[in-house]
Amino acid sequence: MSDGTIETVDLTYWYSGNDWASLDDVSIKIRKGVKTVILGANGAGKSTLFYHFNGVFKPSAGSVSFNGEVISYRRKALRALRSKVSVVLQNPDDQIFGQTVEEDVAYGPTNLGLDDDEIESRVSRALRLVGLDDLRDRNTLKLSYGQRKRLALAGALAMEPEVLIMDEPTAGLDPQMALELMELAEQLHHSGTTVVISTHDVDLAYAWADEIHVLRRGELIYSGRSEEFYSDPIRVYTTGVMQPSMFLINKSLCDMRGQPEAPYPRTETQLISKMASGPKGRFLIMPVSDRLDKYMVDAAVDEVGGDLAIGLYGAVTRSMLFDSMLPVNYVFDGFESCMSECLMGRDSLLLCDADCVDLILAKMERLKDFGTVVEFKVLDDPHSGSA
Amino acid sequence: MDFEYIIEARDLTYSYEKKDGAPMSLKGVSLGIKPGIRTVILGANGAGKSTLFYHFNGVFKPKSGEVLYRGIPLCYDKEILYQLREDIAVVVQNPDEQIFSSTVEEDVAFGPMNRNLPPDVVESRIRDSLFKVGMEEFRNRPTTQLSYGQKKRVAIAGALAMEPKVLILDEPTAGLDPQMSQEVMELVDQMCMTGTTVIISTHDVDLAYAWADEIHVLRLGHLVYSGKPEEFFEDRDSVALSGLSLPHTFSINHSLEAIRGLPDAPYPRTNSQLLAKLAPSDSDFGRIRIVPVSQDSQIDTDGDVVGVYGFEAKKLFRDRGISADINFNAIEGCCLSAMQGHDTTIYCDQELAATIRYRIGILTMFGHVPEVV
Repeated sequence: MSDGTIETVDLTYWYSGNDWASLDDVSIKIRKGVKTVILGANGAGKSTLFYHFNGVFKPSAGSVSFNGEVISYRRKALRALRSKVSVVLQNPDDQIFGQTVEEDVAYGPTNLGLDDDEIESRVSRALRLVGLDDLRDRNTLKLSYGQRKRLALAGALAMEPEVLIMDEPTAGLDPQMALELMELAEQLHHSGTTVVISTHDVDLAYAWADEIHVLRRGELIYSGRSEEFYSDPIRVYTTGVMQPSMFLINKSLCDMRGQPEAPYPRTETQLISKMASGPKGRFLIMPVSDRLDKYMVDAAVDEVGGDLAIGLYGAVTRSMLFDSMLPVNYVFDGFESCMSECLMGRDSLLLCDADCVDLILAKMERLKDFGTVVEFKVLDDPHSGSA
Repeated sequence: MDFEYIIEARDLTYSYEKKDGAPMSLKGVSLGIKPGIRTVILGANGAGKSTLFYHFNGVFKPKSGEVLYRGIPLCYDKEILYQLREDIAVVVQNPDEQIFSSTVEEDVAFGPMNRNLPPDVVESRIRDSLFKVGMEEFRNRPTTQLSYGQKKRVAIAGALAMEPKVLILDEPTAGLDPQMSQEVMELVDQMCMTGTTVIISTHDVDLAYAWADEIHVLRLGHLVYSGKPEEFFEDRDSVALSGLSLPHTFSINHSLEAIRGLPDAPYPRTNSQLLAKLAPSDSDFGRIRIVPVSQDSQIDTDGDVVGVYGFEAKKLFRDRGISADINFNAIEGCCLSAMQGHDTTIYCDQELAATIRYRIGILTMFGHVPEVV
């Protein structure tokens, strides 16, 4: 019995007319529930591999299986496969066909033969997660690049796939939008979706991945934890990428200080925890039920008896910000930013989606490995009882 | 004629609608680009960066306000614009919008030919600019057979062939993988070192912070900041409202110094500067040797970690079949290597040696640093 969701065995693929293999004997295992990155330079074969995962391409040799069964290329079987394995392409224009935002997102669920209520609930949930709920009736031609990119993602989310595959998800996005997207990826991972990302952005890959698979000119040259791969500068160099900054800073500092490299910080707060320590602020977490308002902040201010930094975490919470008029310090990257404040001695409040509390606690638990123990408390939303 | 700014916008206002219906505009933008200063125009998508660039080379004419080149207002007469674009070359983000000819050679030759330069000059310009972008071997290749990164380099070569006084690049690293990005940035950097004024637009805050002497920040068509990068990033609200985030060296430095009870300044912009600040004073560093080379130099690597920087030095290494350890971003790479305890040699072009020495010398502002010989 395989523990893998998607597995390829000796997968080889030639584009017609090419005299070289774009994928050459690739045997890869995407493990269920593991945050996975496919890393490689442009032209390494990342997208070609993805097209095999959802059966758009058929291997020239070798096989692809999903949940232990070799995939079948009959139309009905492919449709079933694609309801479980969603690929979000790099260029959203290759993926958006509906005339309006709503139509486009509804397309997949409608094809699955779901009833109207279910379709409606999936469409609204997906649009809310990507922050497009206000643009439901907008013509898809009248969207910006960032909006189209989010729409393509919403279409995939509406399928509620087991495996979500994103090809260069942050390419061309602004820094804030990229942070938002990676936070969503983390949220999806937490709720049980297996998320696979392809990228050549090593900083992003390092921060996010539990496991990386590295492609070089169609060959799989590494599968495993990131640190081991980046520890070999020659291999990194011949792959056409660089060492991630966080890896490099940690390694150099540890060398200078005669400290062991492990544990390896992947985020700024982990690095800072490892390198310096001082009096810390308190960290308050409040799951949000159906609105954001000042009473929630007041409750937190009462708790700490003074001023605090306020951050947001989660797509649903963020979607409530505009109506709330709440003065928030960190709309994006709320966990990292609020935790930095704590490390610098300031109390902070993280308002988050209700289903993200465990995820946030797990992040704090992880920080203990780097020497940071923060006093924290999960506060009740003052509105949650009133419903 | 005396001028403080090589390009200046005064109260520049412009608006149009993109094909997706998005209103694009510039509203009362006034800024000056200083000659020889590494300048970044920073802003989120749709902030007006490209619109501004199209004003710099006269493709767009302001609705109100004016653009000046070397202190003289632009004149939108066809002939004069033509001359302007010999001085100011813009490399657009998508190379497909810039490459029209069927072969690499023809495409790079297009600008110089249009200027009616003598054939031998055109030839040397083609050779020189393809050499600089590392595309000499692709000279006769059809442009349709190039990868995205190769097209990007051909587009840059086309601009270099004009030998412009001002080189403007719109999102030069977008879509490139990490090594190719560094290659492009190194090329651009070298243009700066040898006297070209280079202006880059980007939303990559790490790149902007590490590279720029001066940044101009656009937000929804308004100019919200002009000046040194660190002062802008100090204002977190303004960074957030501009759709941006903090560069990682900036925020790591900020947090660590706050915990240590020290001021943020001096501000490290690169990993090596950050490390110099944090290094214990008894760190065992290697030394850095700077060796300018010419085509008949002896290369004696002597067991050192070897970096190579500059067009000529790289060509020399290629011709001799010598491989360096650090081929990209070698000034930074060699500093890091020495800080990791390795004796390191950086081979470079003659004309770049002084600048490289100066750049490495900046490290001493930050704390304990490797010795340079």
